[in-house]
Amino acid sequence: MNTGSNNQISTQQAIVILINYILAAGILTLPRTSAEQVGTPDVWLAVLIGGGIAIAAGSVMARLSARYPGQTFFQYSSVIAGRWIGGIVSLAMIVYFISISAFEVRTMAEVTCFFLLEGTPNWAIVIAFMWVGIYLVSGGIDPIARLFEIILPITIIIFAIVTLLSMRIFDFERLRPVLGLGFSPVLKGVKTTTLAFLGPEIMLIITAFMKRPPAAIKVVVGGVSIAAAFYLATVILVIGGLSLDGARASTWPTIDLIRSFELKGLLLERFDSLLLTIWIMQIFSTFTITLYAAAKGASDLFKREFKPFAYCFLPIIFLCAMLPKNINETFQLGDTIGDIALYLFGVVPLLFLVLSLLRRRKKG
Amino acid sequence: MLKWIIAHIPSWYLFLQAAAVGLVPYGVSRIGAKLNAMAMFSQPNGKPRPPEEEAGDPLTGNFDDDLAVFEQWIENYADVGIRNFELGVDSGIKAAVIYAEGLSDRTVIDRQVLQALMNADFEASPDVPLAERVLRRLPVLKTMECGNVRQAMGQVLIGWAALIVDGVQGAFMLGVFKGVPRQMDEPESEGLIRGARVGFNENLHDNTAILRRFGENQSLFILKMKVGRRAKRNVAIAYIEDVADPAIVEEVKKRLSRIDLDSVPESGYIEQMIEDSSLSPFPQIQSTERPDRVFGALMEGRVAVLLAGTPFALIVPATLSMFLQSPEDYFERWLPGTMFRLLRFFALMVSLLAPSLYISFISFHPGLIPTKLTMSIIGSRVNVPFTALVEALILEVSIELLREAGLRLPKPIGPAMGIVGGLVIGEAAVQAGIVSPILVIVIAVTAISSFAIPHYNIGLSFRMLRFVSMFCAGVFGLFGVIMFFLALCIHLVNLRSFGVPYAGPLVSYQFEDWKDFLVRAPLAAMKRRPQMLKPKQPIRKG
Repeated sequence: MNTGSNNQISTQQAIVILINYILAAGILTLPRTSAEQVGTPDVWLAVLIGGGIAIAAGSVMARLSARYPGQTFFQYSSVIAGRWIGGIVSLAMIVYFISISAFEVRTMAEVTCFFLLEGTPNWAIVIAFMWVGIYLVSGGIDPIARLFEIILPITIIIFAIVTLLSMRIFDFERLRPVLGLGFSPVLKGVKTTTLAFLGPEIMLIITAFMKRPPAAIKVVVGGVSIAAAFYLATVILVIGGLSLDGARASTWPTIDLIRSFELKGLLLERFDSLLLTIWIMQIFSTFTITLYAAAKGASDLFKREFKPFAYCFLPIIFLCAMLPKNINETFQLGDTIGDIALYLFGVVPLLFLVLSLLRRRKKG
Repeated sequence: MLKWIIAHIPSWYLFLQAAAVGLVPYGVSRIGAKLNAMAMFSQPNGKPRPPEEEAGDPLTGNFDDDLAVFEQWIENYADVGIRNFELGVDSGIKAAVIYAEGLSDRTVIDRQVLQALMNADFEASPDVPLAERVLRRLPVLKTMECGNVRQAMGQVLIGWAALIVDGVQGAFMLGVFKGVPRQMDEPESEGLIRGARVGFNENLHDNTAILRRFGENQSLFILKMKVGRRAKRNVAIAYIEDVADPAIVEEVKKRLSRIDLDSVPESGYIEQMIEDSSLSPFPQIQSTERPDRVFGALMEGRVAVLLAGTPFALIVPATLSMFLQSPEDYFERWLPGTMFRLLRFFALMVSLLAPSLYISFISFHPGLIPTKLTMSIIGSRVNVPFTALVEALILEVSIELLREAGLRLPKPIGPAMGIVGGLVIGEAAVQAGIVSPILVIVIAVTAISSFAIPHYNIGLSFRMLRFVSMFCAGVFGLFGVIMFFLALCIHLVNLRSFGVPYAGPLVSYQFEDWKDFLVRAPLAAMKRRPQMLKPKQPIRKG
């Protein structure tokens, strides 16, 4: 009897998947990257705008996917744009998912190595991480959704505790003046903050598994808003706690914020371990969902079974993750992926949606 | 560009590692699938067991022939006796009772069978067939008829008495079993402060009767089946017909009918034959001696399986949260009920993770705990020659040894052993510098926490997993613990018990079910049955 493993997810589960996908490396780095670009304390405005753009782009993808219920992008792309163009775009997306997966793994390894496990080689950390990941992915979307439902409340609770504790060194003055140099610095940061919201592209795949595909837009709005709340809190607290220059100077500003205060008399004195715990879980969820997306894409595109692709992609992701020689190259890799993503998921789905609507017209 | 590419070509060992990354989990998954297929021979893909042939010498109705056959049979059954007599005062109709010593009740045979038949008047109404006349004069509640000797002997050997009468084809089987009465005492392993002082015993009928006594309820269905090929035993399936999901009931029947074992000495055999995954460290079926637990589960829409000869009933489908609940949660008011439930979840986490967190903080991240604590731990560990992992393993293994040894010891020696083992050895180990005193505290708290888990068998799972988590912590520190936790959660969300997600209300956010999960909402607020069980009637009546 397999009454439950129907491989369908509810709207709530889709929202949870989206949030877990969006929240990743950005929690630790967004305050620095955005502060570097903006240069004024108005970073939080840029985060809001970035979230808005993500919702817009995500809605397009959700709308597109909802038009083909039960089908992933990799299945219906050839219907819309023909076998060749559809296939090439699908392939590009698979490569994208693999590379973002590799990027997350590498970031995780760097942070873990630096803060938790000095002296343990990177590859050992990565291998352990990926083995646990494939255990989850091989089960399909159903276990993924359910595991994410366990991870998310843990993330929310610990994140709330840690951020509330950091209110001790929060100084509202550091966030002022608002729009002191006008609006143009904010716009400079919008691209960076938008990239922190990479994630709605998963709607191209999971909409196919939703019990109610029309709710996909709701999923995008809900998921991105909750993720935006996380980022907003992070950015405001880091800049209010460390000041703009402090955020710019540190590689992992959020961890430095948590490390910069100690509480006496509690079981733990420093809370970066707690933050790292949830952060590793978030990276884990991003890694698994991208690996799943890549393997699912390949299996849909080539009409083969899913599992062999998942196993085959593991070594590829591993090699990609180990390619960057140091942390700066890792960040460069991240930037490159982000630039590609802007076109791949900002422009292409819109074109596909227009095409799809036109086709419908023609037929009608 | 070319330079950049050349500079970034990974070295050969990276390729080796990459191969390992892909191949090892693939191999593990293949082996896992194979093992699963092996362990699951009775499960979904298994064939239903073939029907047994039931042949044997038919009972002819000729008294002397039939008696001879029976006598031939009982040559090898020293505990079976035959009593010849005549029906009525002197009608001359020969008859015999075949019974098993100890299994059949002598006084019942004496009074209700022999006395009744010997004193009865068989001359009256000669036009009624003899079989009918015999039955009319038998003051025995349970009777049935049986056509062949093999079948009749099978029944005799479980306590029926066979009555053969000259001129009547077949045998009358009379239900004259002797009960082995045992008090329905409160089970020792599941004691409660408040609650009925009653537990199941070894008699199936007594057990089903307790379930009936919970209240008049026509929809409490109790079905009977037989399990075991060589030693057949009765097994009862109990469920509330208009509550339980019919799919679950059918699945239980199907899985029970597939059990193909020589004998089924205890319900643990059934549990292992019908569970979903034999490779999982978690029990996927709840076993209990408490009728109130079973009845509560039935009312939620679960199904109970009761086996004759054991006081342990099985409840399916089981969910993880069930193992952390106690009937007392409902008997006491909701606030203490909630508090103790939360405490148990906390105890679960402590018993699973405390030693591994100790290992990872001491070996890898001393900077994360308060400086003073670090100082005192490091100070106390100066003389300890082992790594934190070995140190913790030494103590943890000795605690497990103590527990296991304590079970076998005669009752008067048990506490003495506890004192010698726990106090003396612990103290001496600290003084000898084998372990640090802080670790003794950690391990002691862990052990106490594991006793706070209300179910013995889920405690066993977490005791096993604790060692796994300690090794993870020993290798990767806090990162290892996180990975272990994630892997455990992945296993939990993959696991199902009779189609119901094992992680239960924790996942898929059925908020209605959360009223009876971490907290125990006031009774008036719990209007619905657990949704995850897909009950036929989601609303509790009344």
